[in-house]
Amino acid sequence: MKPLKTQDERLIRAYSRALHLYPAGFRKRNAEPMLRTFRDAVEDDDLVRRDLVALTVTDLCISLVKEHLAMLRDTFARPVLVYNAVVLAALSTGLALALYAIPQQVLRQGANDPQIQMSTDLAAILNRYGVTDGLHQGALLQSGGVVDMGQSLSPFLIVYDDQGHALGSNAQLNGQTPAPPQGVFDFVRSHGEERVTWEPIPHSHAVRIAAVVERVNGPQPGFVLAGRSMREVEARIAQVSQMARFTWFGMLGVIALGTAMFGWYTRPRAE
Amino acid sequence: MATIVPQRTPPTSAVFAILLSLAEESEPGSRNGRRSANGKHGYQIMKDVRMPAGGSVKMGPGTLYGSLDRMMRDGLVEETGMTDDERRRYYRLTRLGESVLASELNRLDAAVSSARSLGLLPQGGRS
Repeated sequence: MKPLKTQDERLIRAYSRALHLYPAGFRKRNAEPMLRTFRDAVEDDDLVRRDLVALTVTDLCISLVKEHLAMLRDTFARPVLVYNAVVLAALSTGLALALYAIPQQVLRQGANDPQIQMSTDLAAILNRYGVTDGLHQGALLQSGGVVDMGQSLSPFLIVYDDQGHALGSNAQLNGQTPAPPQGVFDFVRSHGEERVTWEPIPHSHAVRIAAVVERVNGPQPGFVLAGRSMREVEARIAQVSQMARFTWFGMLGVIALGTAMFGWYTRPRAE
Repeated sequence: MATIVPQRTPPTSAVFAILLSLAEESEPGSRNGRRSANGKHGYQIMKDVRMPAGGSVKMGPGTLYGSLDRMMRDGLVEETGMTDDERRRYYRLTRLGESVLASELNRLDAAVSSARSLGLLPQGGRS
């Protein structure tokens, strides 16, 4: 080994310090031969010093990024870790979906409860008298004052003739009695009953009604619609959705943290 | 017994240049199982790959040893175990490394022949 100039010694010391920037495993395996190789390059009189420094700096920048990425991949992106994390994430996603879907369905179905009883009762009366005559006999009067569908949370009733024209109602929206889409009547005509979420102002989510529509048969056929604003129910569903989202993010966070910690403690060690 | 070369993506320019550099060290009878006992150390490889004949790849120690690390893991090169300095390591091709180099050279040769037949390269030698 020939003696080096002070400037060359400094260069080698600087390179030796720069080697500490590599990941521990890589450094342990390769630092000594890398330093020896760099020393060989410094001792080579054919190599212009400026070129060597430029090459070494570029090489350091590129290989540092490459080796750190390789270390991260070997530590955290091993197939077994990724597989476990994906399975756990899928399970937690399913669980979070169930946490949302089950209460959502319970709340939504529960929103139909008084309407089912009201529409069934009124339909039973109208079945006997017919929709027109039944209304004349005051079948709707027992239900109290007029309900504002846009504001009130009270359930209400609307009676339609066989063509879907409103005949009587104890509810109004903007001074009128709205009717659900004709398709709902067609369905009820063949199936007897339908439970739908109805938006009386089309293409606007401002008013949403949990509606139960019953078929009235007999001499004057028609339909009875019992409805109630879903405002409160939807606020509760939104709360459930928010809780399910928080739970989901929390579970994903725990899975990510656990996977990272497990990956770190079981990472391939330097030989 | 013939060596089976598994299907793999073409080597990177750094890996190809290292394979080429170490191939020089292989003895002519290497395909019959005899490989050089000496091999080459890091700086010799670095110098070889800088040469036009070696691929003109400017490679520092970081890239060189990162590539050698991965090539050893893939079984393309091995340490000879010989040393003239406790910090210097010598490397040589394995049989798999020789096969991979041969198949890459065949691939490149076919590409060059094709380029010649299409008139993209002059006939009969380097431009």
